[in-house]
Amino acid sequence: MIDLLERADPARDLQADSVRLRAKVEERIGVSAPLRPGSIAIRRPWLVAAAAFVAVLAFGLPVLLRDQPPSVFAPDLDGIAAHPGVEEAVALASGGLQVMDTDGGTIWVMTTLQNLLQRISAESGEVEATYPIDARVEGVVAGGGSIWLISPDHGGEVLRFDPNLGVVDSTIPLGGAPGWSHWLGDALWVGTDQTEVVQISSDGEIVSTVPGDLKGGEGLGYLWVNDPGTDLISSLSESGEIGEIVIPTERGLDTMSGSGIRQVSEADGRLFLLDGDHPWGTNLNVFDPDSGDFGAFTGLTFGLLDLVQFDGYLWVTSSTDHLIIRIDPVTGEQRRYPMPGKTGGLVVADGSLWVTLFQTGALLRLDTGADLIESSPIVADDWNRFPHRLLCTGTGEATGPTVILQPSDWIDYGSMSVIQAKLSDEGHLACTNGYVQGETTPEQQAADLDEALGEAGIAGPYLLVAAVDGVHAVRLFADGRDDIAGVVLIDPMPVGFQDFYDELLPDYSGHPPWLDLDADVSASLDTFGSVPLVVIEQDPQAVFLSPNFLESPGGEAAEAVNQYWQDGLAFYSGLSSDARSLVADDSGLDMIIWDQPDLVVEQVLELADPS
Amino acid sequence: METESVAKQHSDPGHRFDPLFQAHYDAIYRYCARRLGVSEAEDAAADVFAVAWRRLDDIPDGSDRAWLFGVAYRLIGNRYRSRRRQIGLAARLRAVPGGAVASGPDPDQTRDEEVDLLLRALDQLSPVDRELLRLSAWDGLDRGEIALVLGISENAVDQRLHRARSRLKTRFSRLQSALSSIEPKEAST
Repeated sequence: MIDLLERADPARDLQADSVRLRAKVEERIGVSAPLRPGSIAIRRPWLVAAAAFVAVLAFGLPVLLRDQPPSVFAPDLDGIAAHPGVEEAVALASGGLQVMDTDGGTIWVMTTLQNLLQRISAESGEVEATYPIDARVEGVVAGGGSIWLISPDHGGEVLRFDPNLGVVDSTIPLGGAPGWSHWLGDALWVGTDQTEVVQISSDGEIVSTVPGDLKGGEGLGYLWVNDPGTDLISSLSESGEIGEIVIPTERGLDTMSGSGIRQVSEADGRLFLLDGDHPWGTNLNVFDPDSGDFGAFTGLTFGLLDLVQFDGYLWVTSSTDHLIIRIDPVTGEQRRYPMPGKTGGLVVADGSLWVTLFQTGALLRLDTGADLIESSPIVADDWNRFPHRLLCTGTGEATGPTVILQPSDWIDYGSMSVIQAKLSDEGHLACTNGYVQGETTPEQQAADLDEALGEAGIAGPYLLVAAVDGVHAVRLFADGRDDIAGVVLIDPMPVGFQDFYDELLPDYSGHPPWLDLDADVSASLDTFGSVPLVVIEQDPQAVFLSPNFLESPGGEAAEAVNQYWQDGLAFYSGLSSDARSLVADDSGLDMIIWDQPDLVVEQVLELADPS
Repeated sequence: METESVAKQHSDPGHRFDPLFQAHYDAIYRYCARRLGVSEAEDAAADVFAVAWRRLDDIPDGSDRAWLFGVAYRLIGNRYRSRRRQIGLAARLRAVPGGAVASGPDPDQTRDEEVDLLLRALDQLSPVDRELLRLSAWDGLDRGEIALVLGISENAVDQRLHRARSRLKTRFSRLQSALSSIEPKEAST
């Protein structure tokens, strides 16, 4: 077969014309003034720094530019950069929410946690400069040669940032807390909580104030507002006129959360409007300006944050499910691509689609046409049972048990989406058991899983995969059952860990709530018997015995926590007579599912198909 | 003297680029031709080397070839996404004067049918499986290089390659069976 494949090579005897090819290369790099390799990204920071220095000397402007501040924030991007569909990953100044915009060649990202504005070259992916901003910023707009920072400070104001000098050179009071903001025509438009849209010219003057509730971005050449006079969705033109087009809804796209339109985008000559979350998901609506028709286009999942048009498709981010969803604007076909973290904002720059992972603090250039892993068709999705969700994907054509993925409660529901996609890709039926929001208990998790599987008609055998405090739910689920084919425990949290930790380290108890199991309940549960069990552990040196942890609570406490954790691992490994343990090198606590998803997938496949 | 020599190397990008181009231009061109057809292969290969020129300092020592294939892989996927599915690529190559398969009919008709069947089976695989098999069988990359190109571990390459070969074999057998069940009927009509 391999020989035949080699013989089938359609280019086996092709030969390139080296002279002609070399000439084409030289055309691209410019033979008359060849670029120095790698020199592009390092020029601008010096120019900007020098210009700012001159500006400060000459005009006494506030010094807002300084060297990039030291940061302990250093996300491990290796795993993220290697994720299918990610062409490159840029580390941002911190995690937390980011807002961003682009002028085409440069992406401007504001990390709201630390009030840092970052200038990133869309061509090279280099962070060219980082500017501390002396204000809280909730929106960034690029337009008119300036970067506009929308701030709730002082009752609402706009800071005009000069990208050449690297300084804020003007502040414009808004007269109300800002909401949506966008550049249209030659002006900045900012909605406020006074149901007004403020029009600001490129030289920083307020030109007009228009009544209306600004929602979303631009589409069909207009901005879109809820008209306070009619409460209908109406166009806002660049001349400030409202109502040239009125979308025939009975009212604005208000939802139960009252968030109205989340975003708008134009595609295929029509206007697509994403509304806010309903308990059962989110609607993407469509308005056809030619026919005047308006209606629901397709239903989507939860936690949708942004919507853009790129390469003929609509792209939506879902933070809840760690997804980027591609939607065909003609057929409505959806493709779901798992991403290695919570997805946030989207921009199109340098011919690429970019997305932030807002929890991790990373900006990703996506390779949208290449090797994205597509989630298999959804087999069962109980999203009507808000907030619980059982999301099953995969054809199930591969023999073997259904894989149940139980994420850690405090990390989030979508954290196993990459692993789920890879298992589905291998033909397995894989189901994530989790919660979109709300508090729960291991007992509730186990009961909901049992009920949802029954309703979906997905019978055993099951292969259980649990991360961190998800281990408690799968032990409860497996108790008394004879249809468990295997168990994989990733960083399993010891029973009683929360109480132990909080008592030992009361000054460090500000962690997210962990799920725990009562010691008596734990003792009453069956072991896994002879069911194959794999325990995947983090490298202990990388967590509790790391310099960072040792320096904080102190060596003795760190040793005690580590010992408790190691005892817990020994306990879990003793739950089956057919158990083995693996150490995931270079992976910190709770990070194995992101750092080494392939390791987890390998172990699951091995248990699912021992032959 | 050694210091000066090293300094000269870094100040003269051509010093590294020229041997890189000479060593790999043909392989990169053929890689592009297999996925895009001959008519677009030269431009795509030129784009790959233009990226290499700009990022010479990023190219890891000893992994030149894999790095270039990685750039080609992403570049083709990105820029030519609308043409990713290369169904009928072999036919297109045949139609191009000077193309490998256009160099003349193969005297061995049986082998031609087998090859066509295999290419059809290959087209039925997932994009990832196809790419793995092509990188291995056509581009001659080893597991470490494939891992670098696709951004996955070497172990994952081994496992996926094993499964991809198995799937190809299954699809090929199915097509053979389907063909053999059709041929007698056609013969009888």
